Amino acid sequence: MKKLLGITALLLFIIVVTAIRNPDFLNGYNLQNLVRWTALFGFISIGAAFVIITGGIDLSIGSVVGLTGALLAILLTKNHWPVPVAMATVLAVSLGIGLAHGLLITKVGLQPFVVTLCGLLLYRGAARFITGDQSQGFGQQFEGLRRIAVSAVPVTPTFGIPVPSILLALVATVAGLLLHKTVWGRHLVALGGNEVAARYSGVGTDRIKIQAYAICGVMSGIAGILFSLDLNSIQPSGLGEFFELYAIAAAVLGGCTLRGGEGTIVGVLIGTALMRVLYNAINILGIPTHLEFAIIGAVILAGVVTDELVRKIANRKLG
Amino acid sequence: MNISKRTFLAALPPVVFGLASCGKSSDSPAAPATSAGASKAAEKKKRFAFVTNGVDPFWNTASAGVRAAEKDFGIECQVLMPPKGLVDQQRMIESVLARGVDGIAISPCDAANQVGFLNDVAGRVPVITHDSDAPLSKRLCFVGMDNYKAGRAAGKLVKEILPSGGKVMLFVGRMEQLNSQQRRQGIIDEILDRPMQTLEKLDQDPLGRELPGGNFVVLDTRTDGFDYPKAKANAEDAMSRYQDLAGMIGLWAYNAPMCLEAAKAAGKVGKVKIVSFDEQEATLQGIIDGHIHGTVSQQPYYYGYDSVRILKEIAAGNRGVIPANGFFEIPIVEVRKANVEEFWQQLKKLQAAGA
Repeated sequence: MKKLLGITALLLFIIVVTAIRNPDFLNGYNLQNLVRWTALFGFISIGAAFVIITGGIDLSIGSVVGLTGALLAILLTKNHWPVPVAMATVLAVSLGIGLAHGLLITKVGLQPFVVTLCGLLLYRGAARFITGDQSQGFGQQFEGLRRIAVSAVPVTPTFGIPVPSILLALVATVAGLLLHKTVWGRHLVALGGNEVAARYSGVGTDRIKIQAYAICGVMSGIAGILFSLDLNSIQPSGLGEFFELYAIAAAVLGGCTLRGGEGTIVGVLIGTALMRVLYNAINILGIPTHLEFAIIGAVILAGVVTDELVRKIANRKLG
Repeated sequence: MNISKRTFLAALPPVVFGLASCGKSSDSPAAPATSAGASKAAEKKKRFAFVTNGVDPFWNTASAGVRAAEKDFGIECQVLMPPKGLVDQQRMIESVLARGVDGIAISPCDAANQVGFLNDVAGRVPVITHDSDAPLSKRLCFVGMDNYKAGRAAGKLVKEILPSGGKVMLFVGRMEQLNSQQRRQGIIDEILDRPMQTLEKLDQDPLGRELPGGNFVVLDTRTDGFDYPKAKANAEDAMSRYQDLAGMIGLWAYNAPMCLEAAKAAGKVGKVKIVSFDEQEATLQGIIDGHIHGTVSQQPYYYGYDSVRILKEIAAGNRGVIPANGFFEIPIVEVRKANVEEFWQQLKKLQAAGA
């Protein structure tokens, strides 16, 4: 938990500063939006975390979001499939993609970076092909279905808990239990820390790695479904672009190291929230949008540097 | 196409990594010759290229105009939509030049900085610009609307729906493009009751500053870099920051639909007035439903059709087709609730004819 101290402090600092400079930051409507975006990006960040903990990387997350989002719209609006069948198909495709990544990395021995970089291009191309490069949407139909992405459970007159955040809470709880409370989770962390040692200790490293990529695939699929329902407009060449970088950044901010073997689900959620709060704060404070990337890059860098310094000082005191 | 897509979908999971060679992209040549006789005829056909600045439903309508012109004039024209802006656009144009064409119509991603490149292309084949101009280059003419006037038209729509004024926010994909800049300035000048400017000498207000005038305040122009989730979040954040926000104006086709989605979720439909550009289905539906006040259509169909017509005439040696001032203006159409149904029917007809 010590690792999360710096990042949590940074998150609170930005919240407090933004709220002081513009109290509207804390109005119910804005908080609800923040929670919703954090939830939508939370799925891919959790997916990325599982892969990063194995010491791997998944660069195809954004393209899978784009492909699954476009696929869902086509299956529902063009092919008129029943909702459960379309959803199941989309999730099966994302699971298949994750499994394929895992198999290519473990059984063929390819590098995760290469496999998922090819995936990034391949799934983006596939999304553009199946849609004929036309934007997709659900139109006026499927308002009921869209509620799983856009509606909220009212708490106060202005604030409600967005449905995606409830879904994320469920998924994060399961992911947290899986990662921190099961033998499988301990094996996952062990494998990321030292794969050879884990294998000699009898851990089925290949199987666990494949499962980690499969989880990441499914998480991207869920995010694809939710993003497409939320936006009601899916641009096959654009939806999900750079999302893998947001997911990886959130995971790393939340305490995962790219060397593998470290990371917590709570940390990943805090990392995701930090990213979304930053984007929101820039708009709420009226900072010009062209400064956005510069500010986010600088704040994240400051965050990880502070985190590293705090840890070093803490370790020295302990030592 | 349908069957091949279905097969493709079914085969997706098992062959995720075996697809590289399959797929028909938008940059494949149009109107393929089907028989030996036809292919001989095709050899004599003039070949042109119509290059867009991105991938968007807007360009599909323009593409329908290109297809219709192909049929009408018996020529071939490739439609190229660069997915990643400037770098892709340059790559696509270079490959078209390598293959050989009789003329190119380009919507430059970054007019000011592409002058050198456009001049290089213009040294090889006749070049015209469409949608967004590059007036400093050696292009022969520009086919499009006067974006400043279109901005003023959108500004008028804002004044119509907000007669007593209020705070308004502008939303756009990118500000680098000349058409965004001219459109934005047109809206600002109209809303703030400023005198008419000309495209030749256009003074622009800086970004990131509130602009008051009369009963209106133009708060800011928020950019999203063509990212739909970001466009929606920008609209949400504007409503968070300004509880008294009266109007949202979407400068690019998808902006107003994203503003509408945000307004729906906030329960502010009708409360925050929305004015749009272009004719995305969500925009037209929004006008029918009374959720969007109106939109300014640039009639992209004619960008495609007239660009090809002008290129064909130039290739045939008829330079008289080039307007003296280098500007072939496509008139804008203001779409409100009263004429939206008729406009949509007409649009569907044109798109079907060009399919």
